[in-house]
Amino acid sequence: MKTLIENARLLCPANGIDETGALLIENGQIASIGEANGKADQTIDAAGLCLAPGLIDLRVKTGEPGAEQKETLATASRSALSGGVTSMVVMPDTNPVIDDVALVQFIANRSRETAKTRIYPAGALTKGLRGEAMAEMGLMSESGAVFFTNGDLPVSQPSVLRRTMAYAASCGAVVASRADEHALAASGVMNSGALAARMGLSGLPREAEWIGLARDLLIAEATGCTLLVDQVSTARSVQMVKQARQNGVKAYTSVAAHHLFFNELDVGDYLTYCKVNPPFRSEDDRQALVDALTAGEIDAVVSAHDPQPPEEKRLPFAEASFGAAGLETVLSALLVLVQDERITLLEALKPVTCRPADIIGVPQGRLAEGAPADLILFDPEKPWLCERENLLSRSLNSPFDGRRMVGRVMHTIIGGEIVFSR
Amino acid sequence: MTAIPGYTYKFSHTHLLSIEDLSRLDIEHILDLSEEFAEATRRGERPEPHLKNNTVINLFFENSTRTMSSFEIAAKRLGADVVAMPIAQSSVKKGETLIDTAMTLNAMAPDAIVIRHSASGGVKLLSRKVDCAVINAGDGTHQHPTQGLLDTLTIRRAKGRIEGLKVTICGDIMHSRVARSTTQALHLLGAEVTLCGPATLMPAGTETWGAARAMSDFDAAIEKADVVMMLRLQLERMNGAYLPSQREYFRDFGLTSERLKRAASDATVMHPGPMNRGIEIESAIADGERSVITEQVEMGVAVREAVLKLLSGRRV
Repeated sequence: MKTLIENARLLCPANGIDETGALLIENGQIASIGEANGKADQTIDAAGLCLAPGLIDLRVKTGEPGAEQKETLATASRSALSGGVTSMVVMPDTNPVIDDVALVQFIANRSRETAKTRIYPAGALTKGLRGEAMAEMGLMSESGAVFFTNGDLPVSQPSVLRRTMAYAASCGAVVASRADEHALAASGVMNSGALAARMGLSGLPREAEWIGLARDLLIAEATGCTLLVDQVSTARSVQMVKQARQNGVKAYTSVAAHHLFFNELDVGDYLTYCKVNPPFRSEDDRQALVDALTAGEIDAVVSAHDPQPPEEKRLPFAEASFGAAGLETVLSALLVLVQDERITLLEALKPVTCRPADIIGVPQGRLAEGAPADLILFDPEKPWLCERENLLSRSLNSPFDGRRMVGRVMHTIIGGEIVFSR
Repeated sequence: MTAIPGYTYKFSHTHLLSIEDLSRLDIEHILDLSEEFAEATRRGERPEPHLKNNTVINLFFENSTRTMSSFEIAAKRLGADVVAMPIAQSSVKKGETLIDTAMTLNAMAPDAIVIRHSASGGVKLLSRKVDCAVINAGDGTHQHPTQGLLDTLTIRRAKGRIEGLKVTICGDIMHSRVARSTTQALHLLGAEVTLCGPATLMPAGTETWGAARAMSDFDAAIEKADVVMMLRLQLERMNGAYLPSQREYFRDFGLTSERLKRAASDATVMHPGPMNRGIEIESAIADGERSVITEQVEMGVAVREAVLKLLSGRRV
């Protein structure tokens, strides 16, 4: 089976291609790029739409197993396809926690059976995420876990973290860690500062992120472990990672797409859809994150998809759960920045395609001969209104609800097959 | 209130949720009306039954004898039927959410609901789900608007004005909804408010509430103050978490006769109650002639009468 997509604006962030042309898919893989040559069984006229690698999202939470009322792998996949996400890493903080081989295989099997998106499990760094005993990283890696993380509650004991990171380094495994000194921020619900004080809400101080980050970077340096700094939210965090890299630390940085779009003022009238952790920070921080993205200092932009049903969000702000549904808005959040001329289209795509692909070591995320044909056709300028009722996630807790967005995925292709069309 | 030619003032709010929602004219209007109620009560008169056949629900998710009684007395003086719903008797403890409670009560068609809730923003959340007037009787560490109004009224009666007065508020500013509401109301009416408290209990950005100064030196903060308002300090905050001890707090932030000499010679002393005598304030001062603490309670009823009259029966 050969499929030809012609008349497309080909965009490959990995090798800088931005040209009009055609792409040939054969047996689920990209066969050739550029000119249309040879016969195809099926021809798709892209009519000038952008053709780019499908998005690779390194941070997605679903409720499977254990909280399927929030989201299943299948419903998350449906939501992902609509957002142009063709590969995603699911977090281990489920019930039960993904901390052994059988559970890694469970996620892999359920994904194959119920979801169209490629789903990669992240393994728990410690058993039960209790931060005490290290989990079987070697065996889980072998079964397909792409990195290891303690999820939303980073390991609190430095001794445990040091040993797990030393061990991970010896297995060649990447450790993802939320930069957070939890003890400093235990009761916080939004960014610390004047606004939180006026609203009578307790704060999540920036220092908690910096102290946690400094610790993680120093232990990464001492152990030689590769660290993925999970969701920085402040200007200074970006600088800290940059400096550590100059000292030879192997560190990657991710930013949640919503942190490129919102600041603390968006919490407005106690809007619980804007309750996320790390919290939306000041406008200066947001601008600094966008600048870092433009400068290529952000390796991965993630959705930080965290579906929460109404009973977790229709509560007073302090009592509501953290988390935002994000799979369907990552691309548009980036395209808004492109539209504002803050970043070029190719640069905006890098942290959602080839760079995350390199972090987890997968062949997709690029328009290259022999790479899996995981592709999106999108209109970078199409305006749309984000209304939560129209989201495909099982939970509709999007901070983008009611926002005017720019840029939309029209078709999503995985392994050469069109799996979503708008 | 000064009349402006060609302009008729109208109180346009459906709820009373925060002082931040009010204009200077709104506040002056409420204070004028409150003062009428207060004077009538002093003369031994009963007000017109403005709330006859109205049902007012007192929904208190947090224990409060004083504020709940004050609202109840105010509503009853105006002829309303008052239903008290303290948390212990409601089904919220059985897992019903705040919004479910709101919708249930709303279906009973009350004319006004007075709500106190432990979460900041909790009362506003409830107000979005009901059709009747909602009065915030305190939400978390956010707002307590009727307290801000009654403090302002008490000061205006004691001093004859608000404009230009130096008011010092001292204590646990961080956790105080009274400090937020009172500072905002006084600032709107032209007072110069100084906030004072230990560094561990001073939040960031008090200038956004309208405070002129924020400091931790009480001796400096009280200098030439026309009004000194002491806030209640929760005793559990003094066990070493925020402060080393009660006696160290009293040394630095307690209102003593000695310290009061630094204030203006006719300085008025206030406290929203309930007081910790000997911790925040010397007993002799609390009971002394400068103290208007009991008048604050009296004005509390008057302000609540005014607010209930203005809002009751309003529909969203």
